[in-house]
Amino acid sequence: MALTTETLRRGIARVQSKIDTIGPEMNELDGRLGDGDLGVTLINGFHNMAKVADTLPDDVGMALFGCAKAMTQVSGSSFGTLMATALMAAGKQAKGESDVEWSRFPELLASAQEAMILRGGASLGDKTLLDSTDAVIAATREQNTPNGLQEAALKAASDALDAFRDKPNRIGRARIFGDRTIGMDDPGMVAFLRLIQCFDDG
Amino acid sequence: MCLAYPDVYAVDGETARILRRTRAAKGKVGVVSGGGFGHIPVFAGYVGDGLLDACAVGDVFASPDMNPMLEAVRFADTGAGVLCIVGNYGGDRMNFDMTCEMAEMEDIATARVIVSDDVASAGPDEAEKRRGVAGLVYVFKIAGAAAKAGMDLAATTAAAQKASNACRSIGVAMSSCTVPQAGKPTFEIGDMEIEIGMGIHGEPGVWRGPLQPVDAVTDTLLDHLDRDRPLGQGDRVSVLVNGLGATPVEELFLIYRRLHKRMSNAGVEIVHPMVGNYATSMEMAGASVTIMKLDGELEQLLSVPADCPFWRNL
Repeated sequence: MALTTETLRRGIARVQSKIDTIGPEMNELDGRLGDGDLGVTLINGFHNMAKVADTLPDDVGMALFGCAKAMTQVSGSSFGTLMATALMAAGKQAKGESDVEWSRFPELLASAQEAMILRGGASLGDKTLLDSTDAVIAATREQNTPNGLQEAALKAASDALDAFRDKPNRIGRARIFGDRTIGMDDPGMVAFLRLIQCFDDG
Repeated sequence: MCLAYPDVYAVDGETARILRRTRAAKGKVGVVSGGGFGHIPVFAGYVGDGLLDACAVGDVFASPDMNPMLEAVRFADTGAGVLCIVGNYGGDRMNFDMTCEMAEMEDIATARVIVSDDVASAGPDEAEKRRGVAGLVYVFKIAGAAAKAGMDLAATTAAAQKASNACRSIGVAMSSCTVPQAGKPTFEIGDMEIEIGMGIHGEPGVWRGPLQPVDAVTDTLLDHLDRDRPLGQGDRVSVLVNGLGATPVEELFLIYRRLHKRMSNAGVEIVHPMVGNYATSMEMAGASVTIMKLDGELEQLLSVPADCPFWRNL
């Protein structure tokens, strides 16, 4: 049992079927702190990924690159660019492989996180998506089944959200609001949790 | 552009966002660029034999996304790798970074040269933060000539980097441009005012004051350039007196007259001078001066003929 392009297609379809309800919530959250286009980015991005899903190659690395390309075609927003960056970094790790063991998920996510730090300039602790990915990487190290991964990731992303709620945002447009962001959830962190929740029922 | 010069340019790409040579070159390093519209002939105008092989284009003053950039790289690749010449702007850089990562996944070797020649946009200690302006034209030319001469990717990149390092530019504006989506002038400036050092998107400059005679303005520009990199007896340079869009070419020649006198007095020899609209900012009134200090290699590559409606061989 491993991650293949077919698994990826099913994953995209799963997210696509739910993204139209997640999107408006994200726009609303992002509108309070940022430019309010996070939901649009997610909606357009996943619909476009679904559009190209059938043409993705069996090479999982190249398939992830294909997803990144689909993302950049519809979004120039910073979140869209960071998602594309993440997909490409993970893709590089999987280049030439048609099935990737689930136990390598944390490793792929760690490459994605590192690339997002380099491109976006945020650090861990700034109350961004990275604090969620960091928690998920740590929590999924011992997991090697999709269900185990999903459960561990869900708990980690949810705990990270709780842990950072009462801290201020330290980067991006949200930083301008300073201490007023205490008590508010970071939109990127919520988005990551919602994406994991798409896989709640196995 | 393709309708006017069908022998030189062709539109290509899934979203018609690249301009490329009509026929792919054979057996040479590819040279590409990309950037927003609003600066014609920069960027896409410099596609042609001995210059760029292909160029990705974005909306006015907006970087194209990665996809047309990747299409440009694929078109330009003949197996010898592709050099991307990038103006030092956040969007352009980030998208070219991703493009090169993508290209490497497709086993196309790539290199990048970031052009940052505007001395008004950051001090010498932070030269890497400077914006890329009309110096792009020189870097396109040197890279194109190096690739045409059969240099490999590393040598082409080194020549382009040398050209970029040798360029210094500064501009002066008398009126703003208006980005169509914004619908109003990017900055306000009085009829009798000028601003030294503004960027080609209307970024703020370093000094604003009353309108002055052309010789005095030219002296101010040259003093800025000279402070950044002094020139002296025996130096050889190429100079570009560039119109930003709404300034008569007659006035550009007045700037050149003063510049020529200053260079002569300092014992600096001008090779391949260029006077005209090479890197514009839509309807902005004003001009920029770019000086590229030459060595033997740069001078030789500059003289290699290129074929493009916006490049004049001397």
